[in-house]
Amino acid sequence: MNKRIALMLALAISLTLVCSVALADKVTVNFFHRWPNEPKFSYLNKLIEEFEAANPDIDIVADCVLNDSYKEKIRVLVSTDDLPDVFFSWSGAFGENLTKSGRVLALDDVIAADPEWADQIVDSQWAPFNYDGKQYGTPWSMDGKAFFYNVDVFSELGLEVPTTLEELYAVCETLKENGYEEPISAGFSDQWAVSHYLGTICQRVVDPEVLAKDYTGGGDFTDEAYITALNIFKDMSQYMTADPCSVNHEFARNVFIMGESPICYMQLAEIKYLRDDAEFEYAFFNFPAVEGGKGDPGQLTGAPEGMMISATAEPEVQEAAIKFMKFIISKEGGYRMIAETGEISCVQGAWDETNCDAKQLEAIDLILASTEPAIWQDCATDATIANAFMAGGQLLLTGDMTAEDVMASVQTAAAAIQ
Amino acid sequence: MQTKRAGMSFITPYLYVIPCVLLLGIFVYIPLVANFYYSTLSFSAFSPEKTFVGLQNYKEMFADPIIRTALVNNVWYCVISVIFQVGLSLGIAAVLEDKVLRRVSTLLRTMYFLPVLISMTVVALLFSFVYHPKIGLINAGLEMIGLDSLTHAWTGSTDTAIFAAIAMSQWHSMGYTMMLYIVAIQGIPTDLYEAAEIDGAGRLRRFIHVTLPQVREMAFVMMVTTVTGAFMVFNDVYILTGGGPGNSSTTLAVYMYKNGFALDKMGYASTISVLMLIICMILALIQNNAFRSGKGD
Repeated sequence: MNKRIALMLALAISLTLVCSVALADKVTVNFFHRWPNEPKFSYLNKLIEEFEAANPDIDIVADCVLNDSYKEKIRVLVSTDDLPDVFFSWSGAFGENLTKSGRVLALDDVIAADPEWADQIVDSQWAPFNYDGKQYGTPWSMDGKAFFYNVDVFSELGLEVPTTLEELYAVCETLKENGYEEPISAGFSDQWAVSHYLGTICQRVVDPEVLAKDYTGGGDFTDEAYITALNIFKDMSQYMTADPCSVNHEFARNVFIMGESPICYMQLAEIKYLRDDAEFEYAFFNFPAVEGGKGDPGQLTGAPEGMMISATAEPEVQEAAIKFMKFIISKEGGYRMIAETGEISCVQGAWDETNCDAKQLEAIDLILASTEPAIWQDCATDATIANAFMAGGQLLLTGDMTAEDVMASVQTAAAAIQ
Repeated sequence: MQTKRAGMSFITPYLYVIPCVLLLGIFVYIPLVANFYYSTLSFSAFSPEKTFVGLQNYKEMFADPIIRTALVNNVWYCVISVIFQVGLSLGIAAVLEDKVLRRVSTLLRTMYFLPVLISMTVVALLFSFVYHPKIGLINAGLEMIGLDSLTHAWTGSTDTAIFAAIAMSQWHSMGYTMMLYIVAIQGIPTDLYEAAEIDGAGRLRRFIHVTLPQVREMAFVMMVTTVTGAFMVFNDVYILTGGGPGNSSTTLAVYMYKNGFALDKMGYASTISVLMLIICMILALIQNNAFRSGKGD
């Protein structure tokens, strides 16, 4: 009996050893992302399985938490030695803050070593991940913000797509005269929605050099054009939902979908909601040019989301992590992302009629036609400054602040972070 | 003559206390002390680097207009909560315990207590619909009875946002304090009421001279938890209004969270939490003395 037990023990120990050796040969890559929800969760899991099958020597250990938790967790992880080997990041100031830890790998050598892969990615999407002349993130998905409009209503009233702000106001006046009391559906109870409007208007109005200097912490936000931009936002609000600070963006979108307001400023990624529920023909146009504005009216507000690699990982782990990143950010990965999740890939040629509907293809055309993405204001600048804009923007709409008051608080915020 | 109990050494009682002291030390007192230290630093959660700034954060805090707004909001929260949760709920409890309502008191008690069982997150989401300017129950109700002029953007206006959150909080919490008062009232010996009745005391006099003194200890506990709770309130405001519009409905806890996790100013957030701690401690001490709790009449 004892012999049998001894034999079984020996067998068990041998098996453990064999397994350990086998596992020791495998490189484990920790992957951290922000999609514990469908459909992206399943999409990523399938890709991980396929990658592991194609690379038996690499083991991908994925972990994920939802948006706000992700922001908090990755901030903490990046200041420790437990940074995941490959992880998701927003572009702009969020990504830049991560790189300030010194633990994020600059990808310039990776890009230079594999131009065939790098050239596939839409050129304009790299810049929002470029900090101090170095490329820290690879763009993965892209998005933009545009005015969606009800084509049926526009056709019925003989309205043309506005190309300038004045034309947009004229369209809104006509809509009001024809019973649409709130032509633009808008909800600003969530402050980020304010930043989408203000970011775009500031981009259209303020001198690009001044804007770039102010957003990156080198300026003091004293340019008069900011006041003009805020006043435009205030003027525009007369055509928006009444008391917009008491409703959220989802409500505003639903009002548009129900056909009660014929215009809504939405992200192109929101097409999926319209596709399912809107019972009218819809289309979209970029935010119109502002007369006298110094910014490029061809820019589209929006920013890519992407992936970063840990600089502190062991060389073989880093190599495997880069391989995995390239596998996901590829033509095949991008094609399936659009088909399975509706998100638009940054990889050129990942889209065609087989995985996109006509509206998505139009959205992609709009993004590609844009001269470059104008990053969301709350990502483009320091959080304290963005917060002053967003909170001030809300109070501007409620009538508790003037444009001058808002800019004074923005200037105070800018001075505090310098 | 004292005898040493078998197996009981000088050290034994301390051994029993150690786990509690350790747990409290690790999870309460060390973080508390660390928080004071953090309030003298400027640091970001993104980076391990911390810069010592001395009392700069405190200076900034006392000059910060949003802190003043938050404090005023907390004071409103406190005053209204005390009126409703300490005062009015005692009245409701006394009425429900009256003989006249004995038949329906169980039903009413359950009805008033039900909101307590709902998570504040759910309640806040529910009230976001109640307060909704377009599809909300309140505005619809006002319109239905012809009071269109009173309809309002309850959470979207700087005048009403904080009061909308406070009202929701009272709806949610009054059932709890009412239930505690009911327990306290049920513990009052009936002969006290009988004696008062024989002396010719009516309902109001019985309430003032019997019920009130007998539930004083419970009222003290309620007062302390309501007042400190009002200065730490977070969920209600954060979910319903997010502290907006602007920062008009922010409270100290919401502003602290925003600074720590949205604006990444961890040192400043620690300073705000020190302020909250000091306010709560002072208020608890004042109340302790005012009620002379545990010392009898």
